[in-house]
Amino acid sequence: MPDEIESEDKKFQKELISGISALVLLSVLNDAASEPMYGYQIAKLIQPQEDIPWLKQGALYPVLRSLESSNLLQSWVEPSVSGPPRRYYQITDSGRKTLERWKKMWSQMTTFVDAVMKGESYDQEH
Amino acid sequence: MIKSIDEYLRQLKKELAGSDPAVIQDAVSDAEEHLRTALTQAQKANPNVSEADAIPSIIDRYGSAQEVAAAYRQMEQRLPPGLGKPASSARRSLVARFFGVFADPKAWGALLYMILALGTGIIYFTWVITGLSVSLGLIVLIVGLPLLILFLLSVRVIGFVEGRLVEALLGVRMPRRQRATDKSIGWWQRIKNLFRERNTWTILVYSITQLPLGIVYFTVFVALISISLYFIATPVTMLAFHAPPYIIVGDTEYTAVNWAIPLFVIGGALLLTAAMHLAKLVARAHGGLAKFMLVSK
Repeated sequence: MPDEIESEDKKFQKELISGISALVLLSVLNDAASEPMYGYQIAKLIQPQEDIPWLKQGALYPVLRSLESSNLLQSWVEPSVSGPPRRYYQITDSGRKTLERWKKMWSQMTTFVDAVMKGESYDQEH
Repeated sequence: MIKSIDEYLRQLKKELAGSDPAVIQDAVSDAEEHLRTALTQAQKANPNVSEADAIPSIIDRYGSAQEVAAAYRQMEQRLPPGLGKPASSARRSLVARFFGVFADPKAWGALLYMILALGTGIIYFTWVITGLSVSLGLIVLIVGLPLLILFLLSVRVIGFVEGRLVEALLGVRMPRRQRATDKSIGWWQRIKNLFRERNTWTILVYSITQLPLGIVYFTVFVALISISLYFIATPVTMLAFHAPPYIIVGDTEYTAVNWAIPLFVIGGALLLTAAMHLAKLVARAHGGLAKFMLVSK
């Protein structure tokens, strides 16, 4: 039984994260005063506390790449003093506009979900 | 337990086996960049830590090869290469499919590639032949070897650039990242790898064959397009020059009769459409060749 519950949790978690990972990455790159950042830097910056489920760092790169191919991000490679050359990512104008829309959708969605969940608990009390 | 970055990269390659080779190359270079940076940071924080000690926790945060491979596979399914999804042609009639080629960006991209191939072919060919002969000629002197190494590195760049061109115009998935160089192995080993890898030599051969192929592509398609445009324009040229289309074979001049003019126009349109289909066909063959020769196995 606990195995089943765990796999249901995992599935919910995965679907939730895959929906918002693009939003989180776009906002990080937008918030960083539009400074370009490389993958490792981004991964470090959005490393959550232990108990919050979040993407493995390795799964961020494909998301960055799909954002780039939709022209929401641009990227280029720069050599680094220590270690391998780094690919820097920067948000584009169309990325910024998309982010504004997504933020609105996100706040609408959270308001809606919160309201629904509060409604349920309200009903149970009566 | 994985104890080194190379071991992890090998495992990642194995997990991605069967995927597009270009995706594998991209995934490996992303992972390599991240893991090496993380290792450098870990060793900066604590100089005593060895690679084998630091790696497990770095990989734990990066995700197992299985998880990372799954993430790339998932992304690739959502992300069509190059010019996007093929137009659905399943339920259209044969005639619509034949003439629909003019609305197909792939056909236009292919045609553009065929025309450009002569130019790129000349550039690659000149560069490779000059580079090879200069560095091989000087190899008896000591400067020949460094020249040869620099030249082979530049060949790799040609391979990458041509790959980008092929993906943009022919819609074949090619590497989107240059291959990361392994900093952990020494200079000598890296130079040896440059000579040993199949990829270096296949790109070299590809660069040379691009010239004859480019000549053929360019000639065939420019000829086909100009002949069909000439045929389509016969009513206009007849009005302008007061002469029907003619050809001269030996000493005899053959002139088209007036009732044949509409046939010229129809024939020209058919020929032009056929040329577009031929461009798509050749593009698929050339895309396969490029993938085989330019992407490292």
